[in-house]
Amino acid sequence: MGNVSAKESRSRSSTFSSSNGIPPPSGDITGFITRSSIPRRYTTSTIGGGNSLGSSGSGGLLTGHSNSLLDFKKSKRQEEKDRIQEAHYQNLIVRYNENVDGGYLAPYGTYKSNLDYNTEVVRNFILNRQLSPFYTPLQDFDESWTQNELLIILNQLPLHAIDVAYSDLDEDAEDDIDNHKIHKSSNYYKRQEQKQKLKNLLLKIKNLQKEEDLRYLTDKQNNSTNEDSKNPHLSSNDLLLQLYGKPLECPICFLYYPANLNISRCCLQPICTECFVQIKRLDPHPPHDESSNTTNDNEGEEKEKVVLHTLISEAASCPYCASPDFGVTYDPPFNIFTGMGSKTKAGDYIRLKSKDDSDYESDDDDNDNEARNTISSPSTPSSTTSSAARRRSSLAANAPGVITIDMIRPDWEQRLSSARSKLERKAATATAIHASNLLLNGDEDNNGNRRRRQTESSVSGSSTNGSRRRGNSANSHLIHLQTVEDRMLEEALRLSIIDEEERKRKVEAEEKKKKPLQHSQQQEPQVTS
Amino acid sequence: MATLPKRIIKETERLVSDPVPGITASPSEENLRYFEVTIDGPSLSPYANGKFQLELYLPDDYPMCAPKVRFLTKIYHPNIDKLGRICLDVLKDNWSPALQIRTILLSIQALLGAPNPDDPLANDVAQDWKQDEQKAIQVAKEWTEKYAVQK
Repeated sequence: MGNVSAKESRSRSSTFSSSNGIPPPSGDITGFITRSSIPRRYTTSTIGGGNSLGSSGSGGLLTGHSNSLLDFKKSKRQEEKDRIQEAHYQNLIVRYNENVDGGYLAPYGTYKSNLDYNTEVVRNFILNRQLSPFYTPLQDFDESWTQNELLIILNQLPLHAIDVAYSDLDEDAEDDIDNHKIHKSSNYYKRQEQKQKLKNLLLKIKNLQKEEDLRYLTDKQNNSTNEDSKNPHLSSNDLLLQLYGKPLECPICFLYYPANLNISRCCLQPICTECFVQIKRLDPHPPHDESSNTTNDNEGEEKEKVVLHTLISEAASCPYCASPDFGVTYDPPFNIFTGMGSKTKAGDYIRLKSKDDSDYESDDDDNDNEARNTISSPSTPSSTTSSAARRRSSLAANAPGVITIDMIRPDWEQRLSSARSKLERKAATATAIHASNLLLNGDEDNNGNRRRRQTESSVSGSSTNGSRRRGNSANSHLIHLQTVEDRMLEEALRLSIIDEEERKRKVEAEEKKKKPLQHSQQQEPQVTS
Repeated sequence: MATLPKRIIKETERLVSDPVPGITASPSEENLRYFEVTIDGPSLSPYANGKFQLELYLPDDYPMCAPKVRFLTKIYHPNIDKLGRICLDVLKDNWSPALQIRTILLSIQALLGAPNPDDPLANDVAQDWKQDEQKAIQVAKEWTEKYAVQK
């Protein structure tokens, strides 16, 4: 990921420095540049992007050979990315034979399907009984329900709420700013392609989930009609009653879950795993409380310094008590230990009969052996903490057993640094335009006012909404700004032409690649080694 | 849009069955994510006796992101701008999914009772507030009388 965005920065900055031909700075200008805070940003970004000038260039400069090698490497990287993405979504399919203590390894689908937590990490936590499994939630619960009623309701529930989770797929063509652009850059096509790919993948996943749900339903039906060959992966009625007999309402989604919910490390409040994986850090943002909220540009200079330099990312805080660094602990139920990691299958679970369950009779008495097995198994590995020893005090975020949001979203650092470099790139582009403008119309009255306004309009120019005039610029420098705008428009045109050329070149390369496909596949191992 | 999350249904039910004194919120018929809200001005504030109309919308990501709330009635308050937008931390970065429509409306009511001109949204109002609080309060009262008191 980082590589791709760096690439983008390269071609940008390289077009500026190479073809725009900034003339050698005169003494006056360099004096100005060193005084302002902007050039530092500029130089840092050229260090980051400049070294690749030769290797990637801005298209057309390179010979066909090295170009195709580059494309090959890039497509490799893309393949790898696609593979990871596919694995991620595969992990989000609820499969009923992948169950832990009557719950599953993937979410029910209460929220939309755009889940971006690390599925591999969460699956492992669930398998190790460090997080509550994803249980199928009950929409409602009433204590007056009899056990039979409860069972009927439970047995009607699907594995996954497909309609909710994948509802985005139907209502596509969301308002996409890309579609409003007059000129579509090469990145536009790249983005469209990615979007289409993701959509196809989601459709595929949705269908797989549908099949799985169908299998679940038919197997359940088989189980109820065919007493002899029961599917052992389907939760037994005993297990269902044990789990859902006294459910708890998750305070965030308001759905009912088996009582073994995760508990917040700080304030001991319950949270279901499905809500837990929704919690995330805020997007990287500039730090608060530093005149960043004044929004008036009379403090412009100070604002520039504060806003443009740093972005921060803070750990997610507890939704209940707002303590920083939200984390949860989980105590597995002391009397249930079934499914993956256990010898007892979900279908073989038989619970101990207690006095208040006398109205319920187990329908297969011949399973007594397994029943004993079930009862004895909790003494195995991780379930040493019985509910009798439930935690009464808060724990530190780094205490053993605490699962924090950063653990299930380990990519936050990468996100932060990519947001930072994006900002830096923007600033560098703005500075480049700014500097070239200064050099072009080197008139002498460089008071601070004009300088600021220029930066402002060059920033708006760099974000491609081109030649729109700022409202506050209508004073004595109108003519001057007009030329600035003309320059920016020219620049935008030039950039888009380059983009277009690059796109064409890519299409051609793509076609070429299709033909000798077999050939290149044979080459593959050589290149990777 | 087709199916409404259980959370929204339950919140709506509870708002109706157990309303908050001084606050009403009723979902619109066409869109159950859109609420028409009224908040009574706190009795010891310049907004006393006023009944302020607001609109509240629950975005797609609710409860993972905050509801969108806006004053429809004109109000003179340093943290509420001309368009009725509200500067309140829990509506922005400090939103938590454990908060609800109910709690957010209570926070807004509390904001009416405790204007904070140091973190303004309406700069002109905040300036007035800081320069001459008595006068600003007087204006707030007049506006309340003019726009928010039902005749």
